[in-house]
Amino acid sequence: MSLLSKTIILMLALLALSSCQGSRKNDSNRFVVLSPELAELIVALGAEDMIVGVTSECDYPVSLRKLTQVGNFGSVDLEKVVSLNPSIVFASALEQESIALNLKKLGLRVESSYPGSLDDMLSEILRIGSLVSREKEAQALYVSLREDIRLIREQATGKPQPKVYLEIYKDPLMSVADQSFVGELLETAGADNIFNKLERDYSRVKAEDVIFLQPDIMICYSQDSLANIKARKGWQNIPALRNGMVFFEDDIHPDLIQRAGPRSIQGLQKLAEIYDLWRQKR
Amino acid sequence: MASKTLTTWQKAIKPLLLLSGLGVIALYLFWGNPDANIISQVRIPRLALTMLTGISLAAIGSVYQLMLANPLAEPYILGISSGGAFGSILLGSIGLIMLMPFGGFAGAMLTMLLVWKLAQKKGNFDRSRLILAGVIVGMFFASAISLIMYLNKDDTVMILNILMGNLGRIFTISEWHMFLGLSGICILLLVYLYLQSRALDIMSSGDIYATSVGINIHKLRRNIFVTSSLLLGVVVSYAGIIGFIGLITPHISRMLFPGNQKQTFLISSIGGAFFLTAADFLAKHVAIIELPVGVITAAIGCPFFIWLLLRK
Repeated sequence: MSLLSKTIILMLALLALSSCQGSRKNDSNRFVVLSPELAELIVALGAEDMIVGVTSECDYPVSLRKLTQVGNFGSVDLEKVVSLNPSIVFASALEQESIALNLKKLGLRVESSYPGSLDDMLSEILRIGSLVSREKEAQALYVSLREDIRLIREQATGKPQPKVYLEIYKDPLMSVADQSFVGELLETAGADNIFNKLERDYSRVKAEDVIFLQPDIMICYSQDSLANIKARKGWQNIPALRNGMVFFEDDIHPDLIQRAGPRSIQGLQKLAEIYDLWRQKR
Repeated sequence: MASKTLTTWQKAIKPLLLLSGLGVIALYLFWGNPDANIISQVRIPRLALTMLTGISLAAIGSVYQLMLANPLAEPYILGISSGGAFGSILLGSIGLIMLMPFGGFAGAMLTMLLVWKLAQKKGNFDRSRLILAGVIVGMFFASAISLIMYLNKDDTVMILNILMGNLGRIFTISEWHMFLGLSGICILLLVYLYLQSRALDIMSSGDIYATSVGINIHKLRRNIFVTSSLLLGVVVSYAGIIGFIGLITPHISRMLFPGNQKQTFLISSIGGAFFLTAADFLAKHVAIIELPVGVITAAIGCPFFIWLLLRK
């Protein structure tokens, strides 16, 4: 993220924070947020003090951990949500549909969001911004993120593209498709995701396809160790393994590329750094 | 003996089935024109696991059906598979992935002991109690697995995989060596089960008769249960729960080639290996996404079984 946009966001956040003192008492804006990426976004828009409840996965920024928890991502205590008397419940449109439906039946207003692409993410920022009455902040964030993405795209054009394999699960093997949010991030930062088309965004893949497609870089979120990956039968000749181009959660935190939000820019930059490392080694 | 009066039709179908089985194996290994590395490092290990699983499940099914004089008897009905799956999932969910086969072992053995104890009535073994005990213990472990799955969201996919059967495990080199070692043990256990065929044939005429010709029926039953639990423990921890192979293959084998247990055992084992290989080939290629193999065995197994029943 450029220094300028960082400063703008920081200033906006401070501004928003100072202007919101006392709004906690205002019952018209009480949010319960069930999705960690939406919680992150709402905080970035400067509306943190309107959040009255979260799920246990909402861990960024850490200040969210002090708020009342209404359960976890997959199982929410409906009574607790109702008792917080929220004006809007924010939920993910992925895997929280049935929870959202139940909350709607209880007469609550539920807003679901699950950006499937960077463009979606940008337009969702504007929509969420207006829902939390932070239109100006949302507009500023929209402009700065769009500019950051444009810059990253520009820097990546013309450079050689490494083939990237991202492993999200080991048993069974699962990876991401180009059309997924994560897949788009991988490619926007200047690589070619090895699985162009899968029937779902995040899907089972075959080990023999990974071996056949010869990825130059592997990003491993499947909790496996480097020694074990190197010992997998038939994987020794994969360029990523031969050249020490395997990266783990410590190298690039999954939330930076799996959660659609302001931190996606950091994710894109981290990816670009990894790709540059590969280009230097070539 | 019926096996000696094979009709010409049966004589003709035997090599035909054998050939199509070998054809399936060739397809399994060479489909899509993979390179030598993929064949030797990915497909052959998977084929080995598939065939060991198919052979073991079908062989155990053929033994149980005869010994328990119950056409429904198979490892799943007796709860042993669920117990094995529970043991292996428990170790997997606390991170001891290398030790999952031993969890499978321990789970299967423990279940078997429990079911065996529950099946005793006043010191005597009771066949109908055994099935009942198996169903109940199986349900208990199935709910225990659901509980682990619910509490441990991170492992949901791994657990679903075990519950629906998955032959696509990735072996590391040390895991592969362990698998080869365990396969060797499994083959010895299968040979032991095969050698009991004659005694089982005699036992199917009734306990009193079997005892009168000098068979220690209690010891034989116990040994067979221990042997098959060990086999199942290994198979379940590697391949998950795959139904229908153990139930259907021995029946089909007896319908096509009626004969003694020795013959049924052999034909079921080979048939089980071919059937599961074909099912896994379909699981890999029928849809773009790889399907759980248990879904395929049920989808082909049931209609085929019904067709055979109606044909009679």
